Amino acid sequence: MQSRAHLWFIGPALFLMAVILLIPILIAGTLSFTDYSLGNSGAEFVGFENYERIFTRTTYEKMFGATFRYVFVVVPLTVGLGLGAALLIHSLGRIGDLYKTIYFLPVMAALIAMAIVWEFAFHPTIGVINATLERGCGTFLESWAWYAKGCERTFPLWLTDRDYAIWTVSFIGVWQGFGFNMVLYLAGLTSIPRQLYDAAEMDGATSGWDRFRLVTWPLLGPTTVFVVTISFIRSFQVFDMVEAFYPQGGGPSKSVYVMMFAIYEKGIQQNLMGIGAAITVVFLGFVMVLTLIQRRLVERRTHYV
Amino acid sequence: MMSTVGLHGITKSFGETPVLKGVSLDIADGEFVTLVGPSGCGKSTLLRILAGLEAADAGQVRIGGQDVTAMRPAERNLAMVFQSYALYPHLSVAENMMTPLRMRDLSPVQRLPILGPLAARAQHKAIRAQADEVAETLKITQLMDRKPGQLSGGQRQRVALGRAMVRKPVAFLMDEPLSNLDAALRVHMRAELSELHRRLKATFVYVTHDQAEALTMSDRMAVMMHGDILQVGAPDRIYTDPDTLEVARFIGSPTINVLPADAGGDGSLTLLGVRLPAEMCQNRQPVAVGLRPEHLTLGDAGRFAGTVRHRENLGADVYLHLEVSGAEAPVVLRAAPGAGASLGLGDAVRFDFEPGDMRVFDASGTRLRQPSTIREVA
Repeated sequence: MQSRAHLWFIGPALFLMAVILLIPILIAGTLSFTDYSLGNSGAEFVGFENYERIFTRTTYEKMFGATFRYVFVVVPLTVGLGLGAALLIHSLGRIGDLYKTIYFLPVMAALIAMAIVWEFAFHPTIGVINATLERGCGTFLESWAWYAKGCERTFPLWLTDRDYAIWTVSFIGVWQGFGFNMVLYLAGLTSIPRQLYDAAEMDGATSGWDRFRLVTWPLLGPTTVFVVTISFIRSFQVFDMVEAFYPQGGGPSKSVYVMMFAIYEKGIQQNLMGIGAAITVVFLGFVMVLTLIQRRLVERRTHYV
Repeated sequence: MMSTVGLHGITKSFGETPVLKGVSLDIADGEFVTLVGPSGCGKSTLLRILAGLEAADAGQVRIGGQDVTAMRPAERNLAMVFQSYALYPHLSVAENMMTPLRMRDLSPVQRLPILGPLAARAQHKAIRAQADEVAETLKITQLMDRKPGQLSGGQRQRVALGRAMVRKPVAFLMDEPLSNLDAALRVHMRAELSELHRRLKATFVYVTHDQAEALTMSDRMAVMMHGDILQVGAPDRIYTDPDTLEVARFIGSPTINVLPADAGGDGSLTLLGVRLPAEMCQNRQPVAVGLRPEHLTLGDAGRFAGTVRHRENLGADVYLHLEVSGAEAPVVLRAAPGAGASLGLGDAVRFDFEPGDMRVFDASGTRLRQPSTIREVA
């Protein structure tokens, strides 16, 4: 007779996964087809109306615009800077630890507090950024048309100008996020066997670039796939910074109206659970696709051993 | 191409710790030289300095008569086989073997993926042909498309050898290449490496801590300890005629028996209460007598007595560990299996040896030689 012990081993994990993961996702999926509001006794089934809105209304077009701008600026830059910083720090000795701490600080800091600091820094009149830029007026920098315009009138209102807001937020996102990728890459770098570099040197990989191409980059392959995926997911999840800068409405003409903020605004602030759930399902779809791509890449290309 | 290798007065310290203390060694063209010593003796560092992977603090490296001390490893045209093989895990066997040639014969543009092979088809074909040729010699042609992760230890070993062979280097450097293989395969690869050396007629510099590898494969071996070469010579010469007690103890398995004795100052010594002729002892002093297990013979007429404490049956031989009063460590004796079988633990036995088989060392471990047989030692 087969023992049923295995059920007891996997039971608790299965139960928890169902209660805190699968059932809420199913509920969100169900709610996304209704017009449910918190406190209502019942809800109307509205079919795909919520989804139709998401893909037709300009508000949501702006939402996708802001989200993708943020994601496609932050992901390449955090991955690139993370790798660069990791390579530089890895080549250092003791001082490396100091830089490691410095670059990792923004990751550990509470983003709400950091957002307040950045708000001051980007302040148009008392902010340190525009004050610094004004110092450059009258120098060769004015040969740059954009700079000359800034000196003539005023430098941009970084956080409240709709042409700049999303890029400024992305910049802060990069500043905040690349230290995390750096730590992941450092772990990847330490796991590369030293003898491979010796072998590369014997084989004639004399320049740093040759060694990077032959050993470092391929052996960081699994790390890179993981770093890119986690960066994508973290970028899709950006919320607290937007909430701190623009508690109302998602920035100048909704230019920073990212997905997570939209879910929060619709579902919580305006108590439109149906549409909030629909955005959540779309969001989960993105994350799902990314994870599947990662799985394929990990299994196909970087499965060395 | 002349491929003599010379190391002259190499010193190296890591921080405060001296690792090499002025080591010199000359290796002839086509010679198989083994650097053997316990771990931490500096043999791997010496090999890395020869390869150019490590810079010496002082001293000179010469290859083919040319001073290469300041040259990059790739310019020295040496090939190295690493203990962990150090194959590129993301490249196939063929690509691994082609890497040294691609680095040497192709420009950075020609090495580009996809574009490179299109732009320089002839070169890429020539490189592939050379790799195939080496694969043929090593019988790994059927593995060319696999990744190193899909190979067994022995196969990886061959691929690493292949990567070293493709560019026909001046000398092959091997850093404990067999130590990751299981015992049976190691014995097999020993024979295969010797065969390869005979066929390639190339210079081999081989580092190992395993004295069996050194004894079986090399033309000459250099025994290293504490950052110095203690003795250089043919394996059987080092085995039978060690210069110091340390060398005698390191080479040979089971290790040589070392017994305390007193030299009388009159050409004789007293070992375990027995007076033996020993011309080499011209001064009164305490000495150490080294006796190989195979030089001890069992016999009822033997002058020495012991008690069997342990039997090691290796099939062809039986090693008896004897407790002998006056000796601190058990004395190991090699007996024929027939003679050993009749003996049980606790039996009293008598044994003896030819006085000529004694190796006598003074208190500092230096060999005392017969006055008539003192020879120039390399």
